Amino acid sequence: MTNGLTRRMNLKSELNDSELLRLMLAGDEEALALLYRRRQGGIYRFALQMSGSKPIAEDVTQEVFLFLMRDGHVFDPSKGSVSAFLMGVARNFVLRRLRTEQLLSPLGDDPDEDVSFNQPGSEMCPLEDLTRAETIESVRKAVLSLPAKYREVVVLCELQDVSYGETAEILGCAIGTVRSRLHRARALLLAKLRPATDVEETGSATVKSARCFA
Amino acid sequence: MNCERDEEMLSRGLKSLAAEMESLEAPADVEMKVLKAFRARQVVVPIARRQSSSRYWLVAVAAMLLIAISVVVLRWTNRAADDPRQAVKQEETQPKPVASDNAKDQLAADVEKPAIDSLPQHARPKRIRPASSRRPASAQVANHVTNEIATDFIPLSYMNAASLQDGGQIVRVTLPRAALANFGLPVNMNRYNEQVKADVLYGVDGRAQAIRFVQ
Repeated sequence: MTNGLTRRMNLKSELNDSELLRLMLAGDEEALALLYRRRQGGIYRFALQMSGSKPIAEDVTQEVFLFLMRDGHVFDPSKGSVSAFLMGVARNFVLRRLRTEQLLSPLGDDPDEDVSFNQPGSEMCPLEDLTRAETIESVRKAVLSLPAKYREVVVLCELQDVSYGETAEILGCAIGTVRSRLHRARALLLAKLRPATDVEETGSATVKSARCFA
Repeated sequence: MNCERDEEMLSRGLKSLAAEMESLEAPADVEMKVLKAFRARQVVVPIARRQSSSRYWLVAVAAMLLIAISVVVLRWTNRAADDPRQAVKQEETQPKPVASDNAKDQLAADVEKPAIDSLPQHARPKRIRPASSRRPASAQVANHVTNEIATDFIPLSYMNAASLQDGGQIVRVTLPRAALANFGLPVNMNRYNEQVKADVLYGVDGRAQAIRFVQ
């Protein structure tokens, strides 16, 4: 019984996302489970990196798949991949949620809400570990402080490693727009991160910043 | 130089952040909720859809049958009304009155025909048409369907054919049975107090031209 189920799951795991979606819409629960396990990570991370809130990321992940069950038939393979479709749906849910909860500035005062991704127990020495953790934390905060339209291209292109073409599909804009937004987003991130690094290194952040972005 | 170094540092920082978050996934309870919702939909929604679709087809078939039956009935009714042979057959089953409207009109026309023919075209009166000929066919059929026996039209004293040139109208009235005696018809004294139906033929001038009794 269990072997049969495992064999079926293995066979289905070779199917692509579109075929799994088709099976899922026909009522196949295994297809949904496979599709979920294949795509939930990216959606969850995208929502988390966009919102900085684990509850929101969980809700968005759930809502995306509920939407897929309800309105999965609207997916058009000629317009893009299932993953791009899901990410586009996730983006809409995240933006709606952020608007609703007025969390456009997600760096909340509540320390429980503020997500830290440090994973203790790495094999680096404590000083390197601390420096690395601080760097990651400062980058994370800088990304979260970006305006949404710049944040989403950074999250997709830099953190999720999505191609420019697929990012354009997800955002519903031209590839050129993605490139220009990413360029602008990186400049903003540098502007946000430079004072800290400059203070550490030279102690004159304002002078360095003015010289680079004059 | 500094800008390049900053860019490099930013890229490194972003890669570190991405690597840090790469292993993050939604908690297991989210998957459970999604699958639970899927099962709930599988139980509820398809049954509802099946019911609604089967109901739709039932309604559609019923509507088609209703339309088909209506068309057949309408055609049958119209054919019965338009078919003169059928009307004749029905007429034959009815007892004929002693003298019908048409006979009376024909008689009036025959009397006046020589005089009318001698008149110039513009001065000729219009042909008298019996009231029954202007009625729709369906009304004619309806009249034949009723099982009534009627006497001949009995002219009233001031009747003249000219007053019927532009048509007339028959009005069904109810009279005391004693009125039969006024027209020389026998009256059953046992039913003296009963009512009797009569058709009064009115001319265009509003005057009663003739009367017949109906049973």
